[in-house]
Amino acid sequence: MPTDWPAAYLDGETAIRHRAIVRLMREGLEVTPAGGRTRLWPYAQVRQTQGAYAGEEVRLEHGGQMPEVLVVRDLRFLQSLHELAPEFSRRFHNPARRGRRLQLTAVAAGAVIGLSAMMYLWGIPLLAAQVALRVPVAWEEQLGKGVVDHVASPARRCRDPQLVAAIDTILGRLTAAAPRSPYTLRVYVVDMPIVNAFAAPSGSVVIFRGLLQRTDSPEQLAGVLAHELQHVLQRHSTRAIVQHASSGLLIAALTGDVTGPLAYGLEAARVLGHFRYSREAETEADTEGLKMLLAARVDPAGMIAFFEPPKDTADKHEESAADKYLSSHPSDRDRKATLTALVSRHPTQSVTLLPGENWRELRYACGAPGTSLQESPR
Amino acid sequence: MGSAVDPRSPFDSPRPPASPPAPPSSLPRTPSRIAESSSTPAVRQPSFRGEAGTLFGIHIVNVLFTLGTLGLYYFWAKTRTRRFLFSQTEFAGDRFAYHGTGRELLIGTVKALLVFGVPLLALHVIRERIEVPTAVKIAVGLVSSAVGFSFVPVAIVGARRYRLSRTSWRGVRFSFHGRTWPLMKIFIRGTLLSFVTFGFYYPVFLVRRHAFLVSQSYFGTERFDFSGQGRDLMEHFVRAVLLTPFTLGLYWFWWTARKRRYLWEHTRFGEARFRSTVTGGALLRLHALNALILVGTLGLAWPWVKVRNIHFAYRYLSLLGPLDLERIQQQAQFPSATGEALAGFFDSGFDLA
Ligand SMILES: [Zn+2]
Repeated sequence: MPTDWPAAYLDGETAIRHRAIVRLMREGLEVTPAGGRTRLWPYAQVRQTQGAYAGEEVRLEHGGQMPEVLVVRDLRFLQSLHELAPEFSRRFHNPARRGRRLQLTAVAAGAVIGLSAMMYLWGIPLLAAQVALRVPVAWEEQLGKGVVDHVASPARRCRDPQLVAAIDTILGRLTAAAPRSPYTLRVYVVDMPIVNAFAAPSGSVVIFRGLLQRTDSPEQLAGVLAHELQHVLQRHSTRAIVQHASSGLLIAALTGDVTGPLAYGLEAARVLGHFRYSREAETEADTEGLKMLLAARVDPAGMIAFFEPPKDTADKHEESAADKYLSSHPSDRDRKATLTALVSRHPTQSVTLLPGENWRELRYACGAPGTSLQESPR
Repeated sequence: MGSAVDPRSPFDSPRPPASPPAPPSSLPRTPSRIAESSSTPAVRQPSFRGEAGTLFGIHIVNVLFTLGTLGLYYFWAKTRTRRFLFSQTEFAGDRFAYHGTGRELLIGTVKALLVFGVPLLALHVIRERIEVPTAVKIAVGLVSSAVGFSFVPVAIVGARRYRLSRTSWRGVRFSFHGRTWPLMKIFIRGTLLSFVTFGFYYPVFLVRRHAFLVSQSYFGTERFDFSGQGRDLMEHFVRAVLLTPFTLGLYWFWWTARKRRYLWEHTRFGEARFRSTVTGGALLRLHALNALILVGTLGLAWPWVKVRNIHFAYRYLSLLGPLDLERIQQQAQFPSATGEALAGFFDSGFDLA
């Protein structure tokens, strides 16, 4: 191994680069800039700041705040340094170890991919469930109050006494059998033709007139209500917030630093991931809601029928009762299969809901005067 | 965002040049005064020598440690990445070097949290949780807005001061001498006038901010110069505002390219001047493909995107004219790690990213 190496020398005072020869000695580096005097850098005073990665030049610094710098292009310089001064080997990168570092990097890559997948599949949902349980109910109420006030403002609420009484009866039946909940559960019917329902974090379930009019029986409405009540009781919206935040942290950890338009791209990926979690929440609301129905001895056939996908796909303009509701509630055929299987495992005697009430009339009790079957909103 | 100076790129504004080979006829032929550069061309472009694969290795270990330390390693990870990116960037035959440390970044972030986060949180609690008269609530709201607003210029100055002082080329450090208050004034004036003029003042604001950041930047004893005027961009800005909605936002890339070319072309270093030839179409292609790569890999391909961005930046940027390196001396003092006044406190090692 040669002991003399060509290098570039920077004096730390000007931006002029000098050619130099560096000689490896036992006690240190002998640096001789072209046309300058030779100086000795004891190894103990030399810092290597670059040259540990492929393509980097070896950069050695000597001195305090404005150090002199030596740049050597040839990596074999480091090798011979390690041979000549092994007692200082910790101060300098050893190119001979690069192969091992490559292996460690591969191991790290595997670990990162495995770890992220585990966090995504189990860690985040588990964390979110735990956190959601510990979020004070008062916070959730503050959060949900704004939503309910906005969507179901008192002016838009449906106040038909018969209908309110009927819905209260169903709600009472469902919650009587359920474990005590920290929320005050309320159901609002909003006079809007939307075929949808949702649960706000405060324990309020909002049902739009459009959905109500699509139900064929009180049992079907009970099915929708049970599903939405489970979103409340399982604290799905709080969980969703935690899941969204923690998946953001996970992506941030994976990506280093990303700004600008790319951040939006990753946000899109994150939202896609969000669908996975919300599908899980839907399934949970379905199965737990069905259990709620069974416990309340409500005929689950109504719920299943309501969630049934359209039988005749050719007949597109005749949408099934729950089409629009389902379109905001990602679903698939498995949903019905799961529910049917669950019912067959827990056979119960059901009691008729709201005997003596005419549901066909009652469900039109809400809405602008003159609303009729013919004007059924789309 | 959107300034020609991408705060995340290896060097802020002293990022030297990259561009396609310029037409020789237009090049200044003045011979360089220093002997060693007599053979170097008068058009200089930086080049990036690093491999995305190497960066991936660094990155994946960073991710592992960051996950393992619940995020604390982030600051060291950032430093390791910057050190690699700088040392792989070559200009006129020499590499850049980054001298920051993870510890400094951590301290900078903690400072930012203490100086801004804690007061903002306290003000929020006063406003939301404690029973106080409405007048007090309004006053508290105004104070929090002022604190939040002043955070931006303070952070810009602090981060720039920190990053430039930790960057060197040929052993000579860059530095930033701008103070916080002048930038604060530019921000207050710019925000108010942009508001009053329905946004028409924005290009002036943008250029003033940029001028302040560039013209207070030094390489050793030599200062960078900026000579742009906001009114030159006015017409382009108005066109961008009008056309962007009708082009599904795509026209914004052409405006960004226009702005970058303008800002670089009015930046000088000694007798040399920068030139950018970036185009809107090129920017659009870069970002579209980057987004595809990143989203498809959930961010894991970040190192490839980073390297693509750097190559892109250098391809369209160049420094034209003589570079008198002999005159440049190391700056006598470095910005100290601890400031004497409160402004100095903000200005030191205050880096968030
Ligand atoms: Zn649901």
